Amino acid sequence: MSHINQIIALLQDHSPVLVVIVLLVFAYMMPLFARWKKEWCAPLALTSIALSLGFTGLLTWEVFASGPIRYEMGSWAPPWGIEFLVDYIGLFMLITIGIISLLILTFGTEDLTHELKEKVQGWYYTLYLLLVGSMMGLAITNDLFNMFVFMEIAAISACAIISIKSDRECVEASLKYLILSAVGTGGVLLSIALLYMVTGHLNFDFIAAGLENVLYVYPNNILVALALFTLGFIVKAALFPLHVWLPDAHSSAPSPSSAMLSGLVIKIYAVVYLKLLMRVFPAELFTIIPIFDIILILASMSIIFGSIFAMVQKDIKRMLAYSSIAQIGYVFLGIGLLTPMGLSGGLLHIFNHAMMKSMLFLSAGAIIYCAGVRNISDLKGIGLKMPLVMAVFTIGALAMVGIPVTNGFISKLYLALGTLEAGKPFYLAVILASSLLNAVYYFPIIIGAFFGHHHHDEYGEEVEEGPKVKKLPMAMGVPLTILGLGCIFFGLFPGVIMIVVERAVGMFL
Amino acid sequence: MQTITSFLPVWVVLFPLAMTFLIYYVEKDSDRLRDSFSAIAAIGTFILVAAMYPQVMAGNVLIYDLFEIIPGLKITFRVDLLGFSLAAISSFVWMLVTIYSLDYMSHEHAQNRYYPTLIFILASCLGIFVAGDLFTLFIFFELMSVFSYILVVHEETYEAMKAGYKYIIMAIIGGLALLLSLIITFEIAGTVSLAETNLIGEASVLGLIAFFGYLIGFGMKAGMFPLHVWLPDAHPVAPSPASALLSGIMLKTGAYGLIRVIFNVYSPDMLSASGWNTIITVLALITILLGSAVALTQQDLKRRLAYSSVGQMGYILLGMSLLTENAVMGNIFHIFSHALMKSCLFLAAGAVIMKTGKRNIQDLAGVGRQMPVTMIAFTVAAVAMIGVPPFNGFISKWVLGLGAIEAGVPNYIIVLLLSSLMNGLYYLPIIVAAFFEGEMAIPVDEVPYRMLLPMVLLAFSCLIFGLFPVNLPFDLSRLATDFIMGVVR
Repeated sequence: MSHINQIIALLQDHSPVLVVIVLLVFAYMMPLFARWKKEWCAPLALTSIALSLGFTGLLTWEVFASGPIRYEMGSWAPPWGIEFLVDYIGLFMLITIGIISLLILTFGTEDLTHELKEKVQGWYYTLYLLLVGSMMGLAITNDLFNMFVFMEIAAISACAIISIKSDRECVEASLKYLILSAVGTGGVLLSIALLYMVTGHLNFDFIAAGLENVLYVYPNNILVALALFTLGFIVKAALFPLHVWLPDAHSSAPSPSSAMLSGLVIKIYAVVYLKLLMRVFPAELFTIIPIFDIILILASMSIIFGSIFAMVQKDIKRMLAYSSIAQIGYVFLGIGLLTPMGLSGGLLHIFNHAMMKSMLFLSAGAIIYCAGVRNISDLKGIGLKMPLVMAVFTIGALAMVGIPVTNGFISKLYLALGTLEAGKPFYLAVILASSLLNAVYYFPIIIGAFFGHHHHDEYGEEVEEGPKVKKLPMAMGVPLTILGLGCIFFGLFPGVIMIVVERAVGMFL
Repeated sequence: MQTITSFLPVWVVLFPLAMTFLIYYVEKDSDRLRDSFSAIAAIGTFILVAAMYPQVMAGNVLIYDLFEIIPGLKITFRVDLLGFSLAAISSFVWMLVTIYSLDYMSHEHAQNRYYPTLIFILASCLGIFVAGDLFTLFIFFELMSVFSYILVVHEETYEAMKAGYKYIIMAIIGGLALLLSLIITFEIAGTVSLAETNLIGEASVLGLIAFFGYLIGFGMKAGMFPLHVWLPDAHPVAPSPASALLSGIMLKTGAYGLIRVIFNVYSPDMLSASGWNTIITVLALITILLGSAVALTQQDLKRRLAYSSVGQMGYILLGMSLLTENAVMGNIFHIFSHALMKSCLFLAAGAVIMKTGKRNIQDLAGVGRQMPVTMIAFTVAAVAMIGVPPFNGFISKWVLGLGAIEAGVPNYIIVLLLSSLMNGLYYLPIIVAAFFEGEMAIPVDEVPYRMLLPMVLLAFSCLIFGLFPVNLPFDLSRLATDFIMGVVR
């Protein structure tokens, strides 16, 4: 008995690192299994995410019981060792990433057999797990070194899961992503160097303490570091002027990759950026440079232009990709408002949008899988043939517009209250205008899918229109249903996730 | 006045909601079960609403707090006299319309879509009337707005799709305007509960923005003048029972919302002091004249009825904007009257269109002799609409007229009379032609009794609620007026 207890205690002690390690270990086992026992790959990959989610559960329990957990790698205390810090924001991201990536991969097990060549399928799981692992690492890392490593892993694996289809479009898109993301990571690396130069530390807490002292000694170093960080993270998170890589990358990738990239990957950078702003840079700095106002402006441009670009798209996945640019704007809007309500709205929108957008991309994927069409004009009448998929798509679209009883409404409500709380009603107008724009490009798809196709030929017989469709496999239907119901559940009971969000916001403000 | 915690208001919403899912579940296997469950849902809901009658008439307010969605904004239920009045008339008409649908829709396509939608919208529509705060009200309002799209485009013709698109975009704009006002109200007052009054007590810029937001959101739904443009397109293209509900009931949700805005969010004193109520008055007058005038030019029967709805909603808006006791009473009573009259007219029009296949007024000459019961019901409702005593429409106009004198604007009575004249001009020719002129080319027979019964009942209530000394809607309007004005006093 005592052995079991010991093992449990050991697991509990090391759960912050195990969350990430499990995924990395399984990731490297995947190619092996792909050669040896092909059919094991998918279940194993799912198991590893489930395990990681299990450790997240364990961490949630501990953090709620006894506050944030610090974990020193190899028992080397900072500033020398590297450190994980599982606080509420990290926990929030772990939960979001764990749940959503599990659902996406469940969908993917079926979809990938269709979209990818036989021999790369094993590799796909490797890349997917690496990406999930690195994002989880980014969520809980407490030093710049780790952050940079995880960012690079995430960038490369993200690039690879875009280009894995290895057709012309994908390769082109991933090249574009690679270059722009290299610019981003380059900027981040430079600013890490600049901060290290003035403080001599890489650990967040130590840098923060150091910066307090040297702010007026080396103001230029710090300002440039902030600027480069901002540049890097804005590229990565695809905020307005630097979003150019996103539409190509997200629309050409296999559907599970798109769901992953749009649903989770761009958000994690927003969170890391928020952590840096709030925990590393001294508050005094923001009196010199109004970075939050700049964020607000970029965010609202992102919201408006993302929506406007989305309106003119013909390809459904491209439209969803542009819509992501608008939605990441909401997250940054929340960050820029910097009031409890606004920030809650921004963070909550990370979770909500992860659900909605992955759901939308997956339903688009299901349509491509079953019906083989991806042009919006070809989607007419598809709702009658694939009722579940389009019902789920409808829920997602309603959530995007912010119709009550969906989770999108709740995050918009928080953001809207936040704008007034911050005394900036202009941004309320932005939020409302963008809701209308969302309606303008989402509703015609739904309307076309369900209505207006009740045609009779001259003999009074019902006319079948459009492509023939395959039956929706179980592995696709289940995650879609869960996500769809989840959107409504969190629209009615946002309190379930707000417990974590509120505490995360409490940490910052 | 006493507040009583009761789950009954929640049942009023929950029961039809649960029935929606039940109908959806059984409809794949059996049409008969679907039809009977729909009827049961509508009848049961009416019984549930009626069950609140003793408590409400005793002057009590039924409340129930369900759960909190975000801090400060809860799903709450609260039924007072005003809410009850609206819920009662809505569930009554809804019940009759659902029974009417059973035969009317039996020849239509996509019935499996129609019935769950119909019952779901019943749930959300009643949710508006039993909501305890503006947030809950807004949620149900949005649900109703969005889902009634499905009823509007039911026919899926080109015109229906076009009207539907116009409808949904305007509904979304209205919803966003409401959301804006809701947020401003919450920010200023810290609560949006309808138990409070005077949430925005002072005339400020934000307050004015919120006022316009409410006016756009609810006014859009109520078919108020510059925002009525969706209505004449959307109402006629829907199947007739759905038109009856859209025109008879769902327009009233906008009016109800505005009454709440005037008496709970702002206060009559504050509105008359700041003069904001004149905005509604002016728009209401234009709405009355415009609706009636354009109705004159319409040749399509249902389109004429739809424009007539615009005109009639003008009366309701005028009543509430004058802020005097009689005017408000007339406004509430006209909500009752117009719900009964207009749904009766649309149902009768639907019966005629179903049998003859013609919607053009000129083609309907002689139909009264072929379908006497239907056309008599139509006649009763139309005459009530014109405002001929002893029908209920007369009482509404009479009380509204008194209200106008009370408010010191007797000139408005001329508008009322002018509009009555126009009502006469566009309803009477239909009736005269139907009974005394021409001959139908193809003889038609009367519609089945399940369609006749609702029409006859509605026409009959137009008569008795104008005639009888025991006048339930009138008493309710009087009490509700006392209640909402009393809160203010």
